[in-house]
Amino acid sequence: MRPLYNFLLGLYPAAYRGEYGEEMLAVLYEVQTEIQKRGPLGQIVSSGWEVAGLLFGALREHLRVITGSAPRAIFFPRRFTMRSEFRFPKATVTLMTVILLAIFLAIDKAKAIQASIPYANPQVGPIHPTQQLMLLPTLLLVLAGACVTAALGWGILFALHRSGVHRFTDVDASSRPRSSRSLLI
Amino acid sequence: MDSSPITEPVLLILLSLADQPRHGYAILQDTARMSGGSVRLSTGTLYGALHRLLEEGWIERFREDDSSRGKQAYRLTSLGRRNLRQEVTRLTQLTRLASLRIARKET
Repeated sequence: MRPLYNFLLGLYPAAYRGEYGEEMLAVLYEVQTEIQKRGPLGQIVSSGWEVAGLLFGALREHLRVITGSAPRAIFFPRRFTMRSEFRFPKATVTLMTVILLAIFLAIDKAKAIQASIPYANPQVGPIHPTQQLMLLPTLLLVLAGACVTAALGWGILFALHRSGVHRFTDVDASSRPRSSRSLLI
Repeated sequence: MDSSPITEPVLLILLSLADQPRHGYAILQDTARMSGGSVRLSTGTLYGALHRLLEEGWIERFREDDSSRGKQAYRLTSLGRRNLRQEVTRLTQLTRLASLRIARKET
């Protein structure tokens, strides 16, 4: 389990890992020693619990870095208020998640339709050598396009993060202490 | 002060640090003991909560004489203790009200 814990800790943002990584690893080793005293089922359940906690934690911390707030604020908004803060990153992450889910649903639905009518599509003949020659550059072009799009998207998010826009969420115009923020985790 | 109640894991972590500074593994053991085993925090969840509590100034790092980096202890700040007391008062009022209503229904 220890190499797995090392790997999972590597999924956390670098700053978080630098601050807590060594300490978390020490705690995980102690927990693992305790887990090994349990039965096989107990070991599986407890180890799974730790792995899930680390995965969720890594995701939560990355979302915090991108959005500048806790992920609960995205998925479980507790109130609707008029806010002047910059909201594009949150909306983007939520929208991308929705689009991803929609793509998965569409693929699943297409597979179901294909399975229900197996003889609907005509047999495809062998690919002609010239067509094969055209296919490879096209695929490479599509791949390059996808890479450029991904790089652009990442660049925009990185620029937004570096611009410090997300830090405006931490600015408190009133004189209230920082403790006023929710601690719902 | 935000009126949102704090979650049970966070409450247990704060209670764990209320009487003495503890390091991560000791907090995990103490929260499991306090909840009678019903709340078992994973290490990822614990450190997520500790990170937030540190940021909010509710807890602080406590340097023990024999502590290594792997055994970092934490303790409540005065702000954390005050907020914990408020939360406990709120819960006490709630349980008192609940007891009264249940008793009224039974009679």
